[in-house]
Amino acid sequence: MGDKDDRSPKKKKGATKDMDDLKKEVPITEHKMSVEEVCRKFQTDIVQGLTNAKAAEFLIRDGPNALTPPPTTPEWVKFCRQLFGGFSILLWTGAILCFLAYAIQAATEDDPAGDNLYLGIVLTAVVIITGCFSYFQEAKSSKIMESFKNMVPQQALVIREGEKVQINAEEVVAGDLIEVKGGDRIPADIRVVSAHGCKVDNSSLTGESEPQNRSPDCTHDNPLETRNIAFFSTNCVEGTARGLVICTGDRTVMGRIATLTSGLETGKTPIAKEIEHFIHIITGVAVFLGVTFFILAIILGYSWLEAVIFLIGIIVANVPEGLLATVTVCLTLTAKRMAKKNCLVKNLEAVETLGSTSTICSDKTGTLTQNRMTVAHMWFDNQIHEADTTEDQSGASFDKSSVTWLSLARVAGLCNRAQFKGGQDSLPILKRDVAGDASESALLKCIELSCGSVRVMRDKNKKVAEIPFNSTNKYQLSVHETEDPNDNRYLLVMKGAPERILDRCTTILLQGKEQPMDEELKEAFQNAYMELGGLGERVLGFCHVLLPEDQYPKGFAFDTDDVNFQTDNLCFVGLMSMIDPPRAAVPDAVGKCRSAGIKVIMVTGDHPITAKAIAKGVGIISEGNETVEDIAARLNIPVSQVNPRDAKACVIHGTDLKDLSQDQMDDILRNHTEIVFARTSPQQKLIIVEGCQRLGAIVAVTGDGVNDSPALKKADIGVAMGISGSDVSKQAADMILLDDNFASIVTGVEEGRLIFDNLKKSIAYTLTSNIPEITPFLLFIIVNIPLPLGTITILCIDLGTDMVPAISLAYEMAESDIMKRQPRNPTRDKLVNERLISIAYGQIGMIQALGGFFSYFVILAENGFLPSILVGIRLNWDNRSVNDLEDSYGQQWTYEQRKIVEFTCHTAFFVSIVVVQWADVIICKTRRNSVFQQGMKNKILIFGLFEETALAAFLSYCPGMDVALRMYPLKPTWWFCAFPYSFLIFVYDEVRKLLLRRNPGGWVEKETYY
Amino acid sequence: METILLFLSSFLVCVAAVDPSTQDAKEKVENPFIYDYESLRIGGLAFAVVLFTLGILLILSRRCRCSINQKPRAPGDEEKQEENLVVPKATVVAETAAEN
Repeated sequence: MGDKDDRSPKKKKGATKDMDDLKKEVPITEHKMSVEEVCRKFQTDIVQGLTNAKAAEFLIRDGPNALTPPPTTPEWVKFCRQLFGGFSILLWTGAILCFLAYAIQAATEDDPAGDNLYLGIVLTAVVIITGCFSYFQEAKSSKIMESFKNMVPQQALVIREGEKVQINAEEVVAGDLIEVKGGDRIPADIRVVSAHGCKVDNSSLTGESEPQNRSPDCTHDNPLETRNIAFFSTNCVEGTARGLVICTGDRTVMGRIATLTSGLETGKTPIAKEIEHFIHIITGVAVFLGVTFFILAIILGYSWLEAVIFLIGIIVANVPEGLLATVTVCLTLTAKRMAKKNCLVKNLEAVETLGSTSTICSDKTGTLTQNRMTVAHMWFDNQIHEADTTEDQSGASFDKSSVTWLSLARVAGLCNRAQFKGGQDSLPILKRDVAGDASESALLKCIELSCGSVRVMRDKNKKVAEIPFNSTNKYQLSVHETEDPNDNRYLLVMKGAPERILDRCTTILLQGKEQPMDEELKEAFQNAYMELGGLGERVLGFCHVLLPEDQYPKGFAFDTDDVNFQTDNLCFVGLMSMIDPPRAAVPDAVGKCRSAGIKVIMVTGDHPITAKAIAKGVGIISEGNETVEDIAARLNIPVSQVNPRDAKACVIHGTDLKDLSQDQMDDILRNHTEIVFARTSPQQKLIIVEGCQRLGAIVAVTGDGVNDSPALKKADIGVAMGISGSDVSKQAADMILLDDNFASIVTGVEEGRLIFDNLKKSIAYTLTSNIPEITPFLLFIIVNIPLPLGTITILCIDLGTDMVPAISLAYEMAESDIMKRQPRNPTRDKLVNERLISIAYGQIGMIQALGGFFSYFVILAENGFLPSILVGIRLNWDNRSVNDLEDSYGQQWTYEQRKIVEFTCHTAFFVSIVVVQWADVIICKTRRNSVFQQGMKNKILIFGLFEETALAAFLSYCPGMDVALRMYPLKPTWWFCAFPYSFLIFVYDEVRKLLLRRNPGGWVEKETYY
Repeated sequence: METILLFLSSFLVCVAAVDPSTQDAKEKVENPFIYDYESLRIGGLAFAVVLFTLGILLILSRRCRCSINQKPRAPGDEEKQEENLVVPKATVVAETAAEN
């Protein structure tokens, strides 16, 4: 402990060392010391506790007993991250370049054109608005996170200077003598010095579903396994215990996990990487075009400054202004859709991550299972009966008519201290809260369900004496009066470890008749016991006897301390076995993940047998697949002789995992498809996740306990449980399943894959119109024609007409069954690849540009300027002092007249782009299928088509637009100029997709399938 | 399919509505250098308004029709989402409170 304190001042330097240290196992040694040694170590007294002065001193030295909250990022940092992250950088660069260009123009020209200034302002506005939008979007989900935090201050009962005082748990210090009882939360890591039937629920720390006994003796070298340590923030389920505090706050086991979690650095989300890749491509294209035309401009004899302005203009024109907003809105829509299905996404970018996931590491307890013990099987009348373990009691039932069953139910109901908490009569039995031990409550609920009220049964059979369960006896018994008031005999009922119960029995109940226990029946019992135990179930044996009236007359004083009554020669009734059963929807969900090419690994803190049984139950180990041990057992050969390659499945114990080298670990993860890790510590969970990531997998981790949180944080996407999950795990996760339903993960995968495909479509659509937007400027520079398309009209397209259709593609339905597909390969399958760019820029974009130029030349020709005269006309055209420019027919045009024609051309070019974008959005609906196969069911898309056309018409015809945006009304015929090109685009792409479908893997697919 | 028909027919209606007015203008004004921009503007705006209204109607019609032939996977039913977020939150709070 001391060296740790010493290290904290130089934390900066030793930060990495600290992390490695935290990844190692817990350094607690107190469990191996005697109580006296512990007392000496903490200068405390076993009876009196600490003195108040010492306690105050320790409190100052160690600080309060609370977890340091993870460093929260200030709101403005979060906001800035939204403003300057990923895609926004591209737009910021564009905006800065625009301002730069304007500055150059302002410095060199008398009357600079305001275009670059406006463009810069609009770009800035777009980034800020989108930044605010996504900031508030995320703030909304973090507000929901806030509500998870519980504010109830914890209390602890400590003994100081011999007096019991109730203090705030925060003030507990190392060395304090404290007392806990059933229902309390343990206020710090304690070394138990005395205990009475104390059981703690460690499930959130170790993943064990069953409450664990606590006693003063050291039972295991591993501090997590030994009985004499109880951990901070676990719950004491029943009994009482007294213990010495050995660690407080961040130094507790729980605290170490929390610190480890908050110290982990997480990588970028897959979608963020994809967007980065996309930005690289776009920048590459922009810079290439810019530099090429810069050189051309120089060669053509433009001045340096003009060429720089062109360079900037071209680079900026390549920035897809609307795409940031489109991507954000698409992701938000998916996030909302997922929230509706009870998946709350904390970080917008995580929406897509599940879609890319190739490995899911799932915790068992509480995630795959219901985290409540339930009676699963019974053995009576020499036969195994299956009980219904489903959450809604929809499963099959067993034969309840046997007399043996009634006796078994009576024993289980009477020899049971659990009872329902009051005021829950309206609730279904399975939902009711029970006071008492998990397995006893399981029995209680089982009996209540099948035989009616246990309370009535207990009232009829008054309890006379009772010996509670303890670890030396390994049984629990009670003595009751019988139901029949005329029968003065007493009924003794007993339950406990099956082998101990069997030892005390001489007869066995079969079909309601007592029969002597012979070897054959004993073997049958052994087989049933082995079989149930092999299913990972916890088996209890039950027996009873009616005490003879002559020896135990009415009113006999039963002494439970020195048992003065018969506890052998009993009659064996049956076995009942309990398990924490899998949730109903899990097997189906696991199957779906499988068919979607996702590897599901179970990582649990629970025992291998239980873990394997559940893994088989939910399909993580599929039917027919064997582990190395299974093969060895089947072939009757030693494990070492089995070729590990033969076994697809494997179960790995945490202690073995500790000794594995990195290569061996990789080997296991690579070569086994069905893996179960059992008895893993939180640190090992983390190592497993890192191992999967090292192999290039995108890893999702699901879990609910504190022990899962480091892995949740480290995973590409951590999925926590909303109802049963601990606060720490929810903090660490990226996604929260509000209904705790593992099946929601499948929804997440589906939505993630869909949005990835649809984002491709949106981007393809948005990028296409870049070409008809850039080419006018290029031709303006190269061949000196009047500018065919201005900055304002470009913005009208990017931020106006293109927006709704681009967003509507997010609503597109999947083309094929996306859940039958393999997960995408993050190194190969990119969001934006060169093929997408080639289609958008090189093919469709070019046709669009042709359409635009066609309308441009038509309008100028109708006005008298035939194309031949336009080339080289620019200098005169843009010269204010030339007011008698002649067209092809000799008409003279003033500057203002010429400009009206030019802006009419801009409007026509704009409308033409809208027209060709109709075809573009329809072809972008699908990447492989024909539109006729896909159908036009996407109403948002149709709305988008209507809306963009209406907007175009409005911009062109609204009075005042000629002043405001310099857009002029178009003759109806001009609208139709681009129609043939629109049609051409549609036919061209349908033919391409037809070829692509006809020749799978052919040239067309290789070169054009994006 | 019916949506395509709807789209096409509405489009034809709009074109038909615009065309007569422009043809009228051409008949009245002989001079090819003077164009009746006033009625063009009115026609164009009417066209825009009709399209816009159609678009809106299309969106609003979703709620009645989607239940029959379309998966409920689109924005119309997003209104429900708020309550969905609230309900589990409340239960969660109760749950955590009960734990302690």
